[in-house]
Amino acid sequence: MPTKKILLVDDSCTARLVNRMIFSQKSNYVLISAVDGKEAVERAKREKPDLILMDIVMPRMTGLEACRVLKKDKETEKIPVILLTTRGEEQYVQEGYASGCSDYLTKPVNDTELLDLLKAYLGE
Amino acid sequence: MMGTGNGSRPPTKAGCRTEPADGNALIPTGIEELRVRVQQLSLREQIERNHFLLMRLNAANARLIQSLEQGDVFEAIAEIIANLLGSEEIAVFDYHPAEKTFSLAWSSGVEADALQPFLCGAGMFGRAVEQGISQFQERQQDGALLPYEKNLTACVILKSSREIVGVIAIFDLLPQKNNLEWADYELLKFLETYGAVAMKFQRLQGRQVST
Repeated sequence: MPTKKILLVDDSCTARLVNRMIFSQKSNYVLISAVDGKEAVERAKREKPDLILMDIVMPRMTGLEACRVLKKDKETEKIPVILLTTRGEEQYVQEGYASGCSDYLTKPVNDTELLDLLKAYLGE
Repeated sequence: MMGTGNGSRPPTKAGCRTEPADGNALIPTGIEELRVRVQQLSLREQIERNHFLLMRLNAANARLIQSLEQGDVFEAIAEIIANLLGSEEIAVFDYHPAEKTFSLAWSSGVEADALQPFLCGAGMFGRAVEQGISQFQERQQDGALLPYEKNLTACVILKSSREIVGVIAIFDLLPQKNNLEWADYELLKFLETYGAVAMKFQRLQGRQVST
């Protein structure tokens, strides 16, 4: 079975580092990354990841905007997007789902929770 | 792989009884195996907890190293706290030991006016510097907080070679985070030392540039 590819989008270098460590040590997923929504849309079109894990508050283009763009595009509309953010309030969660995301995780991220969720979307 | 045992013990039949080493009682094999299994799980959990902690410290350390190149130590500290601990309301104060005064070095997510009272160095904030020990709201006695400290979750002393260089004030945690957890205390312990080292490095770099 081919290795699944995840696009991680976060402007925080710390978040990218932690997630990279979680993935490299506890899974076989291939991780590619982008630092804002705009780059995420470009990379998603080019690299067709199996799943996108994306922060919301980012410069240039937010995660919500990027999610809307991805969901409107035939090439990327089927890629599951999981929003990963510090904002856990109901209003933000609803806004997240309204943008078309498949799931919503709050920071600080729990590695087991994250991997279980990814497994649910991508399989082992 | 879990669940395979140690591989050296021969299989036992259900219902067999074995005599333990101390010989005090007969324990059914099933119970003995269950006890070993519980012990193994507990040991495994200890190692996994440590792995989780090291992973976070490793990421925090890597970000601090990067900040030395980029000259954004305060932003790095804030990023580490936001992403690994769960607070976006942070202020970093410089401490001037000769005059025993504070000055605000950097803040994010907190109104500047709300930080003014801290400069007098009283309350939990002052105790942290006075004792040279980080202070946490949940470990304070009732009534030990000043009115303006209600939202103050932690005062982390930044200490390098016994010299206090500053204090990180962490205010409200994110709504989904109820309290600090064991790994958070370890992360803050790491920041006490290495955050201070990074701050000192940045100060020296600032002096170099200005001369």
